[in-house]
Amino acid sequence: MTDQNQVPAAQPQPQQAQPAAAAPQAAPAPAPVAPAKDESKEPVEVTIILPTSAYFLSGIRDFTLTMTKNMTGFSEQWAYRFQSVVDELCNNAIEHGSAKGENVTITFVNVPDESLEVIIEDTGTGSSKYSAEQMNNLVKERISMMHGQYLGLRGRGLPKIVAEWTDELLFEDKKEGGLRVRVKKYLRGKEDKVSSGKDDPTHVQL
Amino acid sequence: MTQATITFEDVQADGDKKVKIVKITGQLDESNVDEEAKKIYAVIEEAGTGLNLIFDLGELEYMNSKSIGYLTDWYSKISADGGKVVVAQAKSNIVDILQVVGLTQLITTYPSIEEAKLAVM
Repeated sequence: MTDQNQVPAAQPQPQQAQPAAAAPQAAPAPAPVAPAKDESKEPVEVTIILPTSAYFLSGIRDFTLTMTKNMTGFSEQWAYRFQSVVDELCNNAIEHGSAKGENVTITFVNVPDESLEVIIEDTGTGSSKYSAEQMNNLVKERISMMHGQYLGLRGRGLPKIVAEWTDELLFEDKKEGGLRVRVKKYLRGKEDKVSSGKDDPTHVQL
Repeated sequence: MTQATITFEDVQADGDKKVKIVKITGQLDESNVDEEAKKIYAVIEEAGTGLNLIFDLGELEYMNSKSIGYLTDWYSKISADGGKVVVAQAKSNIVDILQVVGLTQLITTYPSIEEAKLAVM
């Protein structure tokens, strides 16, 4: 978070702290004022429910790219990276987690200028039934498999694209059956953020 | 289904060197990549040994992990038969994903077709 975006703590106003000139008695102390709520920092949550079909993946990619570019504070490079992360996770859910005729649920939780979390849920009715523990082990195995030069046809999505481009990757078993995958990326470095143009010597602010 | 097109162009080369430009446009994802990949496997099969492929990715907007797997497999087959594979004109998001999976250590990316031609001819 940049200093300019921080909400200043509520300060008593000088004119409120001083007794009014015309009043002989001291004015009552002002009631404590709660810090102003910065609505621009409120989490924004969007949930999309998709039928189990790869046909809809391009639409989800378009949405991810546009939302990340325009709403989150992440740079364009990260918008493209999230597009890949979401595509890979949705594709896993479609391929393995939810049967045809069922659905996959995607939830985006964005705290502007702080983080973007994506939660993908399947129904556990698909062709491969993995528990959260099995998935966590699978990711660890694949990450170690990818050290050195990997020439296989499949298996790069989770260990290379999803794990490399997120800060948190968590699999959970849903009570009603199925898997929930949570990935989260924090907006930390200047290079992660969308450029304001202030540091660009060619940028003129009117 | 997501739109993607693949076209092939022969490049004049010295001697019996076989050089082709493979131009891929659109988006490669789970809905189309298996079908599109068959076209490239067919060209590799037909060419036999010593084929050099320049992948022109200037109009490729998206590729998923499976399409990267196919690209790796084409590289393995062509390299084993004495040929070369290079990438030209790829957009920054495509280069970024090739880098994160480590494929740029195997396949060199060039900013232009001319530079890619020089590398394989």
